[in-house]
Amino acid sequence: MLGFFLHRLGFSILAVLMISLILFVLTAAIPESPARIVLGADAPEVQVQQFEHEHGLDRPLLVRYGEWVDRLALHGDFGTSVVTGLGMNEQIAETLPVTLELVIVAFVFAVVLSIALGTASAVFENSWIDHASRIFTVIGVSVPGFWTALILILFFAIRIPIFPPGGITPVSEGLGPHIMSLVLPAFCLGIFYTAVLSRMTRSSLIEVLGQDYIRTARATGLPRSLVLRYALKNAMVPVVTVTSMSFGYMFGWALIIETVFNIAGMSGSLLNAISQRDYATVRAVVFVFTLIFLLANLAADLLNAWLNPRLRTVQA
Amino acid sequence: MNRLVRAFGGPTGLIGGAIVVLVIAMALLAPAISPFDPDAVALDRQLTPPDLLHWFGTDQSGRDILSRVIWGARPSLEIGIGSVLVSILFGLPLGLVAGFNQGSWVEQVIMRTLDAVAAIPTLIWAIAVVGILGVGVSQLGPLAIGNQTKVTILLGLLYIPGLARIIYVATLVEAQADYVAARRLQGVPGWKILFSDVLPNTLSPVIVHATLQIAVGIILEAAISFVGLGVQPPAASWGNMLAASRNFVFSGEWWLSVFPGLFISITVIGFNLMGDGIRDVLDPRRKLTMAPA
Repeated sequence: MLGFFLHRLGFSILAVLMISLILFVLTAAIPESPARIVLGADAPEVQVQQFEHEHGLDRPLLVRYGEWVDRLALHGDFGTSVVTGLGMNEQIAETLPVTLELVIVAFVFAVVLSIALGTASAVFENSWIDHASRIFTVIGVSVPGFWTALILILFFAIRIPIFPPGGITPVSEGLGPHIMSLVLPAFCLGIFYTAVLSRMTRSSLIEVLGQDYIRTARATGLPRSLVLRYALKNAMVPVVTVTSMSFGYMFGWALIIETVFNIAGMSGSLLNAISQRDYATVRAVVFVFTLIFLLANLAADLLNAWLNPRLRTVQA
Repeated sequence: MNRLVRAFGGPTGLIGGAIVVLVIAMALLAPAISPFDPDAVALDRQLTPPDLLHWFGTDQSGRDILSRVIWGARPSLEIGIGSVLVSILFGLPLGLVAGFNQGSWVEQVIMRTLDAVAAIPTLIWAIAVVGILGVGVSQLGPLAIGNQTKVTILLGLLYIPGLARIIYVATLVEAQADYVAARRLQGVPGWKILFSDVLPNTLSPVIVHATLQIAVGIILEAAISFVGLGVQPPAASWGNMLAASRNFVFSGEWWLSVFPGLFISITVIGFNLMGDGIRDVLDPRRKLTMAPA
């Protein structure tokens, strides 16, 4: 297991280096020079060159990349944006927790509900519960969450004002209002993954329930609930991987959901940076998201290997 | 009729196929069936609720929403289908070559590189890269690349690892088959076996994956346009119509947001049902191909 872990970790580190190089080139070499953005498009060439020299922007790209990696890896420091003059670490420290909370709440909601739905669907295969939940999964994977968000705001925040139409109420104004403000965004973010995961749980559990050892267990007179518990444990093996990956994917969609609900999370940082042409901040935000995504994938691989010992030797 | 149902893997697959055909027909026939000019501003008819003249109502500029929804199908389908074609163009040869050269450095280089690219979260990168390149027309040598083309190519490139892996796995299986050994003994060169014998046998999972991926692409297009980085107004796209409708949700003008979203949802349901149906027909062993996006 340790060998497998080191192998996967090594790959993840290589992937981070490769992706961060692509990211650095995209954000540092392709767009116009930050000097032109700060000084204006009409600034004389001498001034632009002086600005670039002062901020070290005239050095070779690879040197700047090395310095960026060095500062990030050793000090966890993204540096200061040349365009806004703001520290990027402070900005991320302010907005990441907001996004993180939204994603975690949506993730827990999706996992709990999908296991319940998928299990009910598999145990009562072809009953009305199964049919209803299968219709739900097709709709759930097809309806874009940000549209659901607009519709829910229309009905449950404007027409019938149960929930606030946007923003996250800070905990300082009470836990109740804080939770209420999370309900709609977390629901809209989590519903797609509820559908994906409950569909997987269902088909995986149906397959396990059809196995000989389950029939044997039933024949020996084990109580149904105990049999189901054993079956569920085995059925969850393939589901766990996708569940873990979903956590990484949810951050992408959180951007869009945050936009709909005007939530001051990472989406604001990214979209503001794009509109201000502050590419150093774009780089920092995208890097954070990519790192979370990679960690979620790494966790998926490790969980999979832990639950499925055969894979350790095959892949390592 | 029974044969038609079977061809789509059951009644739900057939419903999906019918939806897809209808939506594509709507996009192709847009000039003929759209009741108004989608971009025609009518300042005396701003924000009118649905009535007999404007079935889906009008927007803040008095433009007919039904006409804009009909025309908006074009960029959605173009990006959804176009990006999948881009991924097939690159992913198919990569997957085939890697799978056919199992154990060699070629396989290692291709698959490890693709693994690294697969670690890129699609939506965030698509938004960031379009943001960096800018939504205007980019000049690439003599080529002028509009934003819609940029989004299509970008999504296509990000899809490559997923598609290539499916072809790679299918090719690995096929390369072990007796018929490949027999062809080799006949002295047929490897590349010829690969393209004339192995390739056709790997297409089933590709078709299934491509159909489901179109559904993903339509939602991604809508999301990218929703944050203002996809199809640019005044051209209508389902995503940018939803983006524009945001301000009117609060004042209760529901028709601006309901109809574009309804069309995205129905179209995506169509491609998903059709993809599931085709899988049941072509690839009955694989039931669990649906991946999160």
